Amino acid sequence: MQEKKAETGTKNAKKANLLDHHSIKHILDESVSEIVTSRGYVEDVRMSNVRLLLGTIIIVIALFAQFYKKKFPENRDFLIGCIVLYIVFNGLLQLIIYTKEKNAILFTYPPAGSVTSTGLVVSSKLPRFSDLYTLSIASADPKSISAGRPVEFTKSVTQWFTKDGVLVEGLFWKDVEALINDYAAEPKKKK
Amino acid sequence: MKSTQIRQFLYQAVSLGMIIASALMVWKGLICITGSESPVVVVLTGSMEPGFKRGDILFLYMSKDPIRAGEIVVFNDGRKVPIVHRVIEVHERRDTREADILTKGDANDMDDRVLYTSSQHWLQQKYIKGRAVGTYF
Repeated sequence: MQEKKAETGTKNAKKANLLDHHSIKHILDESVSEIVTSRGYVEDVRMSNVRLLLGTIIIVIALFAQFYKKKFPENRDFLIGCIVLYIVFNGLLQLIIYTKEKNAILFTYPPAGSVTSTGLVVSSKLPRFSDLYTLSIASADPKSISAGRPVEFTKSVTQWFTKDGVLVEGLFWKDVEALINDYAAEPKKKK
Repeated sequence: MKSTQIRQFLYQAVSLGMIIASALMVWKGLICITGSESPVVVVLTGSMEPGFKRGDILFLYMSKDPIRAGEIVVFNDGRKVPIVHRVIEVHERRDTREADILTKGDANDMDDRVLYTSSQHWLQQKYIKGRAVGTYF
C-alpha cells in the first residue's frame, strides 16, 4: 500500500484546473472510485453499461435519419419515425438517470466472501459556487437487512489540493478510507 | 489500456455523439415541420435588393397551397444552389391544376428564363422548394 501511494505520487500527479469546478469534482470522483475499489469492492458496471447502450442506440437512430437513401419529401414518414424513436429513447435515458443515479458516482457489488453486506452506492456533491465537497456512502439495497446506515462527510476541497491544483492524494485517501471504515463498522440496521 | 480507461473513453465518445445527434435531430425536425428540404437558407446574391441583401437569413415553409404571383419562393431546378426570387407569373391549367411559374429577382432587369436549366420557359410546381415566411438580418 505504501509503495503504491508513492508510485502514483511520482508517475501521474493528478492536476485539476482550480477555476473549473467540473474538473475538481471529476478528479475527486475518480480518486474516490480508485480508493473504494482498492478496498476490495468490485465496481458494478451495469448502470454504466445501460447508459452507454442507450447513448449508442440514440446515435444510431440519428445516423439512420441522416443517411437514409431517399431524399425529402419521400423520406418524411421515415424521418418522423426516427424523431419519435429518438425522443422516446432520450426520455428513457433521462428517466433512468433521474431515478437511479442521483449524484451517484460509483456502484459496487458486495465485497467478495461476505454474506452479510450489500453493495455500495457512492455519491458526491460539489455545488456550483461552493468549495464544500460532500461524499456519502450508502447501501445499494436499502431494504436489505444487512444494509448499513448511510454515512457522509463534507469538507472543503481546499484541504486536499495544493495552490497549483495538484491533488494531495495522501490526505484525500485518509479521509475517504476513514469514511469507508465508518460505513463498514456501522451497526447493521435492525429490522 | 485499463478497462476503466476504455470505459471513460467510450463514455466521452458517446456523450459527444449524443450532442451531435441532438443537433442533427433538431435539424431533421425542422425539415419535417416546415416541409422544406432546407428550412433555413442564406441569401447569396443581391438580386432581391432592397428587400433582401446578401447574407440575410430566410426561413422557409412549404404548404400545399398553390403558388401565387407575388410570393417569394426558393426554387431548385437541378442546379447546385437554390435561388430565391419572386414569382411574377402563374399560369394554372383549369383541369389538372398544374401550374407554369415564372420568377424574377426584384433587382434584376430580366426574368429568370435565362437561368432555368434545360432551356425551359416555365418552372413547374415541383421545383419550388419553399416559400419565404420570415427573415433575419
